[in-house]
Amino acid sequence: MSRLGSAGLLRRAVLIVVGLVWLVPLYLLVVNAIRPSTAFTGTNEWTIPSSFGLFQNVSTAEQSSGLAGSLASTALYSIVSPGLAVVIGALVGFGVSVLQPRRPFFWFMVTFGGAVFPAQMLLVPLFVAYAQLNLYNTHQGLIIIYTALSVPLAALVLRNFFGGVPTHLFQAAQIDGASLWTTFWRIYIPVALSALVAVFILEFTFIWNDLLFGLTLASSNGVRPVMPALASLQSAYGGSTVPVVLAAGVVVSLPPVVVFLAAQRFFARGLALSQIAEL
Amino acid sequence: MQAEADRFELKAGGVRGPHLKSAGLSVPRSAHARRRLIRPFRASYRSKPQVTKPTATAGFIAPAVVVVVALMYLPFLYSVYISFTNYDGLGSPRWDGIANYVQLFHDPEMVDAIRNTAVWVVAGVVVPVALGLGLAILTYGIRHGGWYRLPFLLPYAMSGAGVAVIWGFILQPGGALGDVLKTLGLPGSGTAWLSYWPDSTIAMVIASAWQATGVNCLLFVVGLQAVPVAVLEAAEIDGARAFTKLWRVTLPLLRPMTIVVVGLAIVAALKTFDIVWVMTQGGPGYTSTTLATAMYSQTFVADSYGYGAAIAVLLTVVTGLASAVYLKQQVQVGGVKR
Repeated sequence: MSRLGSAGLLRRAVLIVVGLVWLVPLYLLVVNAIRPSTAFTGTNEWTIPSSFGLFQNVSTAEQSSGLAGSLASTALYSIVSPGLAVVIGALVGFGVSVLQPRRPFFWFMVTFGGAVFPAQMLLVPLFVAYAQLNLYNTHQGLIIIYTALSVPLAALVLRNFFGGVPTHLFQAAQIDGASLWTTFWRIYIPVALSALVAVFILEFTFIWNDLLFGLTLASSNGVRPVMPALASLQSAYGGSTVPVVLAAGVVVSLPPVVVFLAAQRFFARGLALSQIAEL
Repeated sequence: MQAEADRFELKAGGVRGPHLKSAGLSVPRSAHARRRLIRPFRASYRSKPQVTKPTATAGFIAPAVVVVVALMYLPFLYSVYISFTNYDGLGSPRWDGIANYVQLFHDPEMVDAIRNTAVWVVAGVVVPVALGLGLAILTYGIRHGGWYRLPFLLPYAMSGAGVAVIWGFILQPGGALGDVLKTLGLPGSGTAWLSYWPDSTIAMVIASAWQATGVNCLLFVVGLQAVPVAVLEAAEIDGARAFTKLWRVTLPLLRPMTIVVVGLAIVAALKTFDIVWVMTQGGPGYTSTTLATAMYSQTFVADSYGYGAAIAVLLTVVTGLASAVYLKQQVQVGGVKR
């Protein structure tokens, strides 16, 4: 493998060419997001702009769709909800695979089963119930639904993880007189830390990138997450120039992309954990 | 060394191995040996049932069960009920029998939605899965393979809405693609790709493939890490050429991961919403709609909650069937226990 023969060179050449083709849409996104709105003619998409208009474009987007409020709200949702979900998932994972209740598999499947319903089945009842409970268009309402959506995956991963921890760890804690609560927080949570981080990162990006629930359960600029805000800028009625929409696209895409790049190992591990699931 | 650790990690069914090692514990590699290790302890602690009081256990399980039942199971059941009513969001739902389901079969919009969803399932699975597999094979085992994969992973980290914004800009009449065609003197520079079927659906499937290829590649790389080097070396000693090794050894051993990737891609394609909603809203008219966008527009644009719920039930049945087939396959292949 280390010898770089002609086959290896061909391989690399193919990868570089295909990789460059893949980067073309991102190139177009970036150069036109930093192009000042006034310099965009509709025929100069491919050239690198001579002046830098990204900040001006972002501030225009902020004026027409309240981007800053959406960014702050989305950060709140995509940090708080996965945080709550990994704790709830760890509790149930610990409960079913360490504490050995009656019918552990049944209780696990009740929790994990939530993952099989398409989002479309939840929208109308949530919309109606949220309106009645005054949760529609509130931060709490979105945190609650995003937490619930994140629980099944967290439960799956942590049940599998705790199932692989030897029972004598639990036994030792019991002999030393630790309560279940202490055993959970002081022994099992630290052991599972990297699995918790992997799930958290995966769910952070899922929630950040959500369109459907934000579109359905929120309407005002300060509450609505970034993806519905971007969609409204993009729509024909948004009336925004191409560079403004693309600049908003860059800003709302940066957090998940940066998190992904910084934590690629965790990300891949989370994916592997959730998708080669040992049911 | 690192590769060895990765391989072990996968064999042990996830991240267990290395973490236990770092916690100063060692786990036997085979499942059988692991069970032998655990059994005596478990037997002794089962003989003292007071260790796990049912009430204490309930405290750990209840939060997840309550959250999931309240926000998923109950809404699910309510949607099923709504699908048998003529609910329009105002007043209270009135029982309407199977009228909404009968309408599904007479609605020209549903013909388009089902046709387009079928296109998404076929093209939206074949293209990104084949590309992901090819890229995984090309990048696996070469130095800096991770860097070569990076261009494909960046779109994956982006949202469907973000991807839709980029491709909407590229594909608009006189947009970036049109200008290239014009410069090269090729026909089609003035085409409004998103205004006519089937161009609109094809264009959106391509945008989606641009996004989804990276994660398929990543999953196939994880699958390749589980292919034992010894088997490949044995094939090499027996005189197998690179292509034979790939076709006869690597690909058959990738089968479990391929089933997972295809299954996930099918379910994702059936639920296609974000890219279509942002790029065309299912239009013009409803020519580019899918089951998921038809459900949304019937419910929240046309205020036909009952009919929208019936579409959602149809989507659930189709998705459920696809998931069942792929989960069954996965169990048969032996990737999953129980």
